[in-house]
Amino acid sequence: MDSFLTSRVVTDLLGGLTNGAIYGLVALSLVLVWRATRVLNFAQGAMPMFATYLGMGLLSYHWPYWACVGMCLVAAFVIGALTERVLVRPLYGKPEINPIVVMVGYLIILEAFAAAIWSTTPRSLPAPFSPIDWRLAGQPVGLSPFSLFEIVTALVVMAAIVALFRFTRLGLQLRASALAPEVSRLLGVRVGRMLTLGWMLSTAVGAVTAILVASNFFTGLTPQLMDGIFAFGFIAAAVGGLDSPVGAVASGIVLGVVLQFVGDFLNSNAIILVALGILIVSLMVRPNGLLTRSAARRV
Amino acid sequence: MALTQWRRVAAAGSALLLCATLATAATSIGDAGAASRARTPKVPGVTAKQVTIGATVPLTGIASSGYNQVAKAANAVFKYVNSKGGVNGRRIRYVLEDDCYGTPGFGCTGVPNTVTQTQKLLALPVFATVGSLGTPTQDLVRTLLKKNGVPQLFVNSGSSDWNDPAQYPGLFGWQPSYPVESKILAKYILSTYANQNVCFLGQGDDFGTNGLAGLVAGGVSPVVTDFYSTTSLVATNGASIAPYIQAFQSAKCTVVYLDTIPGATDAALGAALQLSYTPHWVISSVGSDPQTVAAPFKSFGIDPEIGAVSFTYLPTPSSNSPWIKWMYKVLEADPADFPGFTSTTPLNGNIEYGVGWGVAFVEALKAAGRNFTRASFLKVLTHTTFTQTPSLAPLQYTPVNHQGLNAGQVDVVTSATSVKTVSNTVYTTNSKNGPVTVVHRLSSGIPAWLR
Amino acid sequence: MSALVRRGALTLGGLVAAAVLALLLAPRASDVIAVVVVAAVAAWAGFVGSWPTVRAKHPALARAMLTLVLVDLVVFATAFVSVPTDFNLATGAAMAIVLLGLSFLTGASGQISIGNGAFMGVGAFATAIWANHHATTPIVVTLVIAVAVGALVGLLLGLPATRLRGPYLAGMTLAFAVAFPAILSSFSSWTGGDSGLQLPNTVTAPHWLTGLFHAGTSALATNTLWLTDIVMVTTGVAFFFMANLFASRTGRAMRLVRDNDVAAELVGVALPRTRVIAFVVSAAYAALGGALWTLLNNSVSPATYGFALSITILAVIVIGGIGTIAGAIVGGVVYAYSTNVIAWFVAHTGLNPQGNLASQLNGIIFGALLIVTMMFSPLGIAGTIRHLRQRRAARERG
Repeated sequence: MDSFLTSRVVTDLLGGLTNGAIYGLVALSLVLVWRATRVLNFAQGAMPMFATYLGMGLLSYHWPYWACVGMCLVAAFVIGALTERVLVRPLYGKPEINPIVVMVGYLIILEAFAAAIWSTTPRSLPAPFSPIDWRLAGQPVGLSPFSLFEIVTALVVMAAIVALFRFTRLGLQLRASALAPEVSRLLGVRVGRMLTLGWMLSTAVGAVTAILVASNFFTGLTPQLMDGIFAFGFIAAAVGGLDSPVGAVASGIVLGVVLQFVGDFLNSNAIILVALGILIVSLMVRPNGLLTRSAARRV
Repeated sequence: MALTQWRRVAAAGSALLLCATLATAATSIGDAGAASRARTPKVPGVTAKQVTIGATVPLTGIASSGYNQVAKAANAVFKYVNSKGGVNGRRIRYVLEDDCYGTPGFGCTGVPNTVTQTQKLLALPVFATVGSLGTPTQDLVRTLLKKNGVPQLFVNSGSSDWNDPAQYPGLFGWQPSYPVESKILAKYILSTYANQNVCFLGQGDDFGTNGLAGLVAGGVSPVVTDFYSTTSLVATNGASIAPYIQAFQSAKCTVVYLDTIPGATDAALGAALQLSYTPHWVISSVGSDPQTVAAPFKSFGIDPEIGAVSFTYLPTPSSNSPWIKWMYKVLEADPADFPGFTSTTPLNGNIEYGVGWGVAFVEALKAAGRNFTRASFLKVLTHTTFTQTPSLAPLQYTPVNHQGLNAGQVDVVTSATSVKTVSNTVYTTNSKNGPVTVVHRLSSGIPAWLR
Repeated sequence: MSALVRRGALTLGGLVAAAVLALLLAPRASDVIAVVVVAAVAAWAGFVGSWPTVRAKHPALARAMLTLVLVDLVVFATAFVSVPTDFNLATGAAMAIVLLGLSFLTGASGQISIGNGAFMGVGAFATAIWANHHATTPIVVTLVIAVAVGALVGLLLGLPATRLRGPYLAGMTLAFAVAFPAILSSFSSWTGGDSGLQLPNTVTAPHWLTGLFHAGTSALATNTLWLTDIVMVTTGVAFFFMANLFASRTGRAMRLVRDNDVAAELVGVALPRTRVIAFVVSAAYAALGGALWTLLNNSVSPATYGFALSITILAVIVIGGIGTIAGAIVGGVVYAYSTNVIAWFVAHTGLNPQGNLASQLNGIIFGALLIVTMMFSPLGIAGTIRHLRQRRAARERG
């Protein structure tokens, strides 16, 4: 009985970490865009979805798997850059609902185009590692090589982003452009480019997430792939704070674990309700996120 | 100053003119409306040369994939019959209205469509609605159709809601109800997997609850029963199914019964694969179509559905039923709706299903004779046994039973595109506690006038 | 020509025109409606001359008159169009109420909600649940209950909103919209689960109305007409209240909050309270629209009130003109007729109606319109028309 309980807790924990890594990555990509341009990007799921269709479509032309992943990232960079230049740039300085609405329109149009071109039938993507759980004494341990890969990917991507911001000149310029564009411009930073780069990075992080989600057994790649995941990613980002990359990933992982336990011990229909409750409560307690230093709003 | 005064007078004048025009236009519309109301034909939707019927179906939107073929396949039957001179000298005109499955999505702004679109059909008028699709959507219009005396025939759903002659005398289901299906599968489970632990996962609506009721009535008591919600399924990309499968594994179930839609079947099979959990799968016909279920697994080189047991009430495409050949003939003759359909195109479940009830309507119309009313048509429908029909067993309605098919056979998935029957025995039962018995008199061939 | 003579002449003209109309119509359809129209046209004609004065001195009266005349004309027209058209118009009008609520939220407080489809669902289910337990409640009472429940849920969600800035609020309402169908499933003993609920009784036309029609007129026609007119009158009332609210002190305070919340606080506007009020009003309006949908459909299903509906609502109000009253009407029309227009387009371009492209055309068109509107004319169709008129007026003055 004791071992049974342990195994159930451990499996849930590991399964939760895997889901949480995905939520954390979505949250991270939201944070990147928010920090750069103060836009909450509702198309944050749809843009990488589109990039994944473009890149992974090359599998049908017998490209090797990792080359396709590379092409997904390239497509993500292009889409991110184009989006920032064409759609987002004209909106700087406009009321804050304008970019929200434009991004919702963008989400609708991207999903519609993806369905028009590739249909709504799910496409199967191969997983680079076995998605079948390791077993210990005949019992599955709740972790497969693929889910371990998901967790490691999330941590590596987060570490890379943090390192980029903290330790490189480029990162310094990125941060400076986001926080003090005027000053940065005077100091010779090409602010416009930095903002574009923020969107490119964010879309690339999103593409990594979309590939992981689509390689999952259960779904395959569909135009609506990221709709549900986006909601959880947003919750993670809002709870952690839209300004904090580490906070986003951390709260994503915690959210994943909590929801896994809710699903297993309560009822899997309660997952969404609990997530919504967490969001509302945390926003009431700390409107700017649990893991950010509260800053006075600039007037 | 004079100018402004003039403008006011002009404004007032044009306002009046507008009212007058509007009213005149309205009067003429009103006239037309009144006239058409007054000249209502004796049988709505029926003229000397034509019968008009209609349906609301998801032609666009999220639910359209696959389902958009069903009514088209039935229409192919109608077109084929029309080309041979129609039924009793009347052509069939089939009007399809898109209702997007009642879910206003990105593909379909402008809902609530099922009711609006049904109103459109009523205004035509139609003789009956035939083959409208969906449990929630058709539940919505039951009262509307009943109050207008319009028969609601062959609803595309296995809910027991359609078999309620006392409340809804004009409402008819076609396919075997969910409990009939699960009772017949229960018999198979009892004989093949005797004394094994059975776990049950069903959808959190009529589909799941009716299915479980049938399973229990058939003598199988699952040790664990769970219901998933479709909304959670969609929001979590299928991950909400995994905990159930994990629980089934912990409960040491060696048989798992699924009353699931294909997306949930995928999630369940995938979760089991991940856990290296290999029970015997028994999957309702709703969620077992091999082509659909196999799609997300394609690139893994695995099809976890192979070996799963399911249920069918129509001949399998690989069988030598003459209806299969006939279906190809009918579909190839309809390039407008089935472009590029040839004798090598695989026949999927949706198409077979549509042809199935399309033929049922044509045969009922034939049996009703040249002079019929809505009442006499329903009387013929409930007092005739249609023995030459595509379903495995004859189609039979009675005044107290509006579920036409109550029989089918067990089959097993053999590959990503095919199934084979376990045995050629066809079983029948009712939705309540009646026994499961063997059907000896099966459907026979194609009536000469349809060939 | 003195003003009095002119007004008298116009009134007389209106009466004559109306009398002709009544003669034309009375034997067939609707004496009562015709008479009401006579009165309205006469009143309108009589007031046209002094309309600017009335509007300047008694704005509320002017709004009431305008509403009355418009509703009257619409109700009059609904008696003569086909049943599906009536139904479609009523669906669009109920949607216009929802749009008005969202328009108010944004126009008066600068906030945005992506969860109004879920608030519609709250009203829709409140109506159905109440009707299933108290079948004899008059419609007006049921509607009030639905609005109250909607406002209450709005308050519950609006409380965190007092402290949230735009994107957080948008995200929170989005999460609510995504979770709403799941909430309904979790209380399936009340909400009927995924199958939803039916109303115990359909709304039927009263005898005096059916008496106005031919004996052969179907019950469907009269019932739909009655229901449509209930919706139209409710819509009129909702619009009248909102127009007054927009113009009131509260409305002005809210606009100040939208334009500059810090300044608003400095002049003594209670920010949190203002924001909550705006949010609650928008939720209540959404609930009213949902309640009317329930009456129209005679049933509710949770699938209707999912995330996609919320997005659709946002799309049509932005296209119509967010922040304006006229935008809600334009949006309602867009909502009611977009499917027909797109189907017509598909039929006339030779596109395969079952093809991937045709089935996604709605999304492509709506998405594109949404982006184009926000980039080039953030006030939508209504705002553009207003802008053009102002420019013309300025040109004429100059």
